[in-house]
Amino acid sequence: MRKVMRVVNRAQCTGCYSCMYACSRTYFHIATTKLSAMRVKNYPGVEGAFSIRICTGCAHPDCAAACPTEALTVRKDGGVIFHEEKCIHCYKCVEACTLNAMQWDPIAREPLVCHQCGICAEYCPNGVLALVEVEDDE
Amino acid sequence: MTNNKIMRIDLSSFKSEVYEDPKLFGKYLGGTGVATKLLYDMNIKNIDPLSPESPIILAIGPLNGIYPIATKTIAMFKSPLTGNLGESHAGGRLFMSMYDAGLSAIVIAGKSPYPVFIVIKDEEVEFHRAYSIWGQSALATERILHSRAEGVGKRSIIRIGPAGEHKSLMANVSVDTGRHFGRLGLGAVFGSKNLKAVVISGSKRHKTENFAKFNKIYNKIFWDAVKSPAMKKYHNLGTPQNVLPLNKINSLPTRNFSQGFFENAEALSGENMSENYLAQQIACANCPVGCIHLGVLREPFEDNIHYKSFKIPYDYEPIYAMGTNLSISTPEALLKLLYIVERAGWGVMETGVTLSWATEAFERGIIGVKETDGLVLNFGDFETYEKVLYNMWNMKNEFYGDLNNGSAFCAEKYGGKEFAINFGKNGSPGYITGRDAFLGFLMGVRHSHLDSAGYSLDEKIIKGEMSEDPSAEVDLLIKEEEWRFILNSLTICLFARKIYTEDLVLEALDSVGIHRKSEQLKNLSRRIHALKYKIKIDNGFDLDKLEFPEKLYRVQTGRGKMDKGVVRKMISDYTSKIREIIREAEDE
Repeated sequence: MRKVMRVVNRAQCTGCYSCMYACSRTYFHIATTKLSAMRVKNYPGVEGAFSIRICTGCAHPDCAAACPTEALTVRKDGGVIFHEEKCIHCYKCVEACTLNAMQWDPIAREPLVCHQCGICAEYCPNGVLALVEVEDDE
Repeated sequence: MTNNKIMRIDLSSFKSEVYEDPKLFGKYLGGTGVATKLLYDMNIKNIDPLSPESPIILAIGPLNGIYPIATKTIAMFKSPLTGNLGESHAGGRLFMSMYDAGLSAIVIAGKSPYPVFIVIKDEEVEFHRAYSIWGQSALATERILHSRAEGVGKRSIIRIGPAGEHKSLMANVSVDTGRHFGRLGLGAVFGSKNLKAVVISGSKRHKTENFAKFNKIYNKIFWDAVKSPAMKKYHNLGTPQNVLPLNKINSLPTRNFSQGFFENAEALSGENMSENYLAQQIACANCPVGCIHLGVLREPFEDNIHYKSFKIPYDYEPIYAMGTNLSISTPEALLKLLYIVERAGWGVMETGVTLSWATEAFERGIIGVKETDGLVLNFGDFETYEKVLYNMWNMKNEFYGDLNNGSAFCAEKYGGKEFAINFGKNGSPGYITGRDAFLGFLMGVRHSHLDSAGYSLDEKIIKGEMSEDPSAEVDLLIKEEEWRFILNSLTICLFARKIYTEDLVLEALDSVGIHRKSEQLKNLSRRIHALKYKIKIDNGFDLDKLEFPEKLYRVQTGRGKMDKGVVRKMISDYTSKIREIIREAEDE
C-alpha cells in the first residue's frame, strides 16, 4: 500500500487556489500560484466550473517514460523524483502527462514535480483533495 | 513586490508606460489611499465624466497576492451618476493578475476612435479591435475573450455589457465570475472610451521578505478564516443570511421602502435559496471562505421536452434590490431578473431602486402608459419588469433611455424626488434599520452601506446593546469609515474585517517591510477622508444641501419613525466634522 494524491470531490472546488498557494509557499517560500506542482483550471462564464489537475502518482508515469535523460525517475511510493542536474529543459515530461498535471517553471525551465506530500489537501477548505491509500500497482 | 509601479494607458494614442512612484505608495500605502491621491492630483473639477480626459484608476495594495482575503481591487473615477467621487470595489482574480504583472495601479485615459479591448501581459499592452464583440452581453464577452485573449498567467477579464456601451449612468463593470465594480457608473466611463474589456495577466513572482514571519501571519489569517463561525456563515448562506433577521426587525426594504417587512421573505431567504436553488459557492483567488453564491434556474423549452439551466450569482443586495423592494415573491422570478441585469451589465442596486421609483411614480400618476409604451407597472409583476428591463436594454423610447440614468436623474426630470430613494444621487442599499444606516449612506464618501455600516449601529440599538445618542452615533460612523479607509488601502475584503484587526494589519505591513504605528494609520485615514471630500466638494457635492428622501420620515424603520429635527441636527453635526477634517488636512 502507498499514499498518493487524488481529487476526491472535484465539484466541491470553489476556485480559491489555496492549494496552489500552499504548494508554492512550501517548496519555494513564495506567495504565488505559479510555482505549484498542480493546477486549478477555470472555465469561462458564471458556470464556476473548475478542473483540478494534480499528479496522481502513477505507478508507470508517462513523464518519466518521456524523459530522454532520466532526469525523472519513478518514486517508490508513486510519482517521480526530479534529478535537476540531468534535466535538458526539453519540456517532454509536460507534454507527456495526459492529465496535464505536470507543471513547468518557465524561468528555471524545469518541471515542477509533485512530492505527494499532501500540503495542498491540508489547505483545501472544502475537502476536494486527499492523500489516499492505493494498491502498489495502481 | 516593489509595490509602487503604475501603468498609464492612453487610449487615444494607443500608448502605455510604466513608472515607479515610491513616494506616493510610501505615503498612501495602496488601494483607496493611492487611488484617491491620484484622482485628486488629476484635478477633475472641469472634466465631463464621460469625456476622453476622464480617468479610470485601478489600484491594489501591499498585502494583495500575499495574504488571504486581501482580494479586492479599487476602481476610482469621476462618477457619471453623481458627478463627483466615483469609487467601487470588486473581488475576483483581478488583484492577483495585477500582482502577477507587478502593477500596483493602472490608469486608463483617452478615448479609442473605435471599440477596443486591451490585453495587459506584465508591462506590455496590446490594443485589439472590439467591433465584433460590441453589443455582446457581459457574460458572452467573458466566454469569448477567455478563449481568444491569451495570457501569461491566470487571467482576469473585466468588461462591460450593452449598458456600458449605451453609457447608462448605472452601468457596471463585471469582474471574472459573479463579481462587479457595481456602483456609481464605471461601466459608462468604459463605454465612453470605446473600451469593451481589459484582460490582465502576469508572469512575475515576487520574493518573500521574511518567510518565517510571513508564514506565521498567513497561517493565522487562513485558519481564522476557515474556522471562524462568522466566516462560515458567509460560505454557507452567504450575505442572504441577512434576509430573515432584517425582516424580523422591520428593516428589509419592501415596495420602494414603504415598509421593513416583506411577507414573502422566507422564499427569498438565504436558507431557502441555499436549500433549493444554490448550484455552488465559488471564491475570489486566495480566499478560503468562498462567499460567492451561484443560484441555478432550470427552465423547460420546446413543449416542455427540453430543459436549459442558468447559473446566476446572488447576494443580499441583489435580493433586496430586484426582490423585496419590487415585491418579487419567488426565487425563480428573482433569478430571471438578476440574469437580465447581469447580462446587460447594470449595477443591480441602482437598477432596482430606479424600477421601484418608476413603479411608485406610475401608481401616483406622475408617469403613465404614454411613457412606458403601454406597460402597466405594478409591484410584484415580474413579467412586466422583465419587459421593462429589455426595453431599457434596447433603449426603446426616451423614458426607457432615461431609466438607464438612475433614480436621481429620473426623479429630477419626471418628479417624485421624495420617493426616489437615493443618497447623494446613488440608489440606496438595502437597509431600513434606522437613521444611522441612512446617515452613513448620505455622508459616506461613496454613499455605500460599506462606507460605515450604519445599519450595524442601528441593529445594536434595536437589540439594546447600545443606547441612543445622536452625537456618539455620528462619531462612531466617522470612526468606522476612517478605519475602513485603511482596510481599503490594503484592499482587504471587508468581510474579513474582524480578522484584520489593527494589530494584525500593523504586523502584516511590518512583514512586507512597511513599518507603521497606529497613530500614523489614523493620520493617514484622516487625510484620505479629507482628500475624498475635497474631490466631492470640488465636483459639486454640496454640504449645505444634504437631505434624506422625504418618504423615509414617514415610514416605520427598524428603530421606529425618525425625528426629522434630530436627523437634521445629526446631518449638520456630521457636516461640521467633515469641514473640520478638511481644515485640519489643509493646515498640514
